[in-house]
Amino acid sequence: MEPIIHIENIHKHFGGVHALKGVSLDVQKGEVVLIIGPSGSGKSTLLRCINRLEEFDSGKIIVDGIPLETAENINQVRTEVGMVFQQFNLFPHLSVIDNITLAQMVVRKRSKEEAVAVGKQLLEKVGIHEKANAFPMQLSGGQQQRVAIARALAMNPKIMLFDEPTSALDPEMIQEVLDVMLNLAKEGMTMVVVSHEMGFARAAANRAILMDAGQIIEEAPPDILFTNPKEERTKLFLSKIL
Amino acid sequence: MALAPNQKPLVEKKKNSFDRWWLLLAAVIIIIVILIFTSPDPYYRIFKYVQSGLWTTVSLTCISFALVLVVGLIIALMRLSRSKALRGFATVFVEVIRGIPLMVQLIFWYFAFPAVIQGIGDSWGIQAFSDFKTNAIAMAIIGLTICYSAYMSEVYRAGIQSITKGQMEAARSLGMNYFQAMRYVILPQAIRVILPPVGNEFITLLKDSSLVSVVAVADMTRRGREFMAANFIPLQTWAMIALLYLVLTLLAGRLVAWLERRFRLEK
Repeated sequence: MEPIIHIENIHKHFGGVHALKGVSLDVQKGEVVLIIGPSGSGKSTLLRCINRLEEFDSGKIIVDGIPLETAENINQVRTEVGMVFQQFNLFPHLSVIDNITLAQMVVRKRSKEEAVAVGKQLLEKVGIHEKANAFPMQLSGGQQQRVAIARALAMNPKIMLFDEPTSALDPEMIQEVLDVMLNLAKEGMTMVVVSHEMGFARAAANRAILMDAGQIIEEAPPDILFTNPKEERTKLFLSKIL
Repeated sequence: MALAPNQKPLVEKKKNSFDRWWLLLAAVIIIIVILIFTSPDPYYRIFKYVQSGLWTTVSLTCISFALVLVVGLIIALMRLSRSKALRGFATVFVEVIRGIPLMVQLIFWYFAFPAVIQGIGDSWGIQAFSDFKTNAIAMAIIGLTICYSAYMSEVYRAGIQSITKGQMEAARSLGMNYFQAMRYVILPQAIRVILPPVGNEFITLLKDSSLVSVVAVADMTRRGREFMAANFIPLQTWAMIALLYLVLTLLAGRLVAWLERRFRLEK
């Protein structure tokens, strides 16, 4: 089967730093892939290359049959790929419901009624429909992240990218976000997740990948990668975080 | 400014939030009224004489400022653009314009620029250019707009750069293009940051518009000079004109403060 994300030998430099050194990765439709690795290993950069928030220097990325080359393609790809950020990045000047309807109306050209209906349904799904008229600053971190997930889902993406979605959260709020992500995974969403949440990985991920120094070191089903890794580098990293 | 179509005004729900600085404005107006009623000669005569200049000053300032808001934004976006050519042009524009006194620029537009156009017309045989006549008001608006756009672009740039990179990334990741992201996400947030300096620019422009009096525009300052030349009462004339400028600037200051309250984020 044709992979929904095809990454082939991409390289990326930040000034003198070689952040990605020939990474290749295929993700199948409906697959949940977890990327772990020390900070600076290139995992976030790889994720951000998938919707071209980061440019890459060489190599090839094809998302759902669309090569990331021209500007038109990039906007098209971005509507198919939802992204959730570590810092939520909600729009602070808009209410929760307006955060979710803005891109629907501006990009998807939906009517206001339609966009609000979609928005309310998604807020229900992430469990905070009562906060529709609140402003982001009035919400807890966990609630903000769930709104951010709803905002991304409102564009009906085929793929969701999560860039350390729980690392900026207080511990007691992590589970409510992971629950939403677990549900998404169960519904068959294709997901690429940069996270060190082992519980989520075991429950939902088909594959776990360890990255270090801009390369993929090892990939395996999460249970195997976490308990019985082959590479020394993986063992060392896991010994530090477990 | 561009706001999201579905954005509700974020009015602070605070009762009796009376802005006490209106009293200062009221005091200045009362002084003017008292002067006019207690000694109509010369104060009412001065007022009547400079009245047309007052409207010229107000309309010149407002028209120029409306243009400055647009041109300044374009220059700021060019300065923030990834294209080296646009960035270079905008940077040179800002550095050069901001480095030349406004008075010199106004004189250039009124006296030198028409000569340049006529010279081109004469040497290339274009009759329309040779017959080029300046309109003092139009040239004054061009001069003020170009100069203040350079200042204003820096205000915009500071405001846009104060919004975290994540906001642009979030907007772009939802499929918005650059201009949509600017219009619906970045600028509505930046405007809260830049309102005080924008108000400052407006008040400065209002005062600097008095410089157009040297390039044949009959603004309030020029009318004052004409009145003084004919009547030889400089103290009363300039006291009146200073008070009238104060009314305008204090009023502008209050309007800016009101806008700031309206745009303040709900806490």
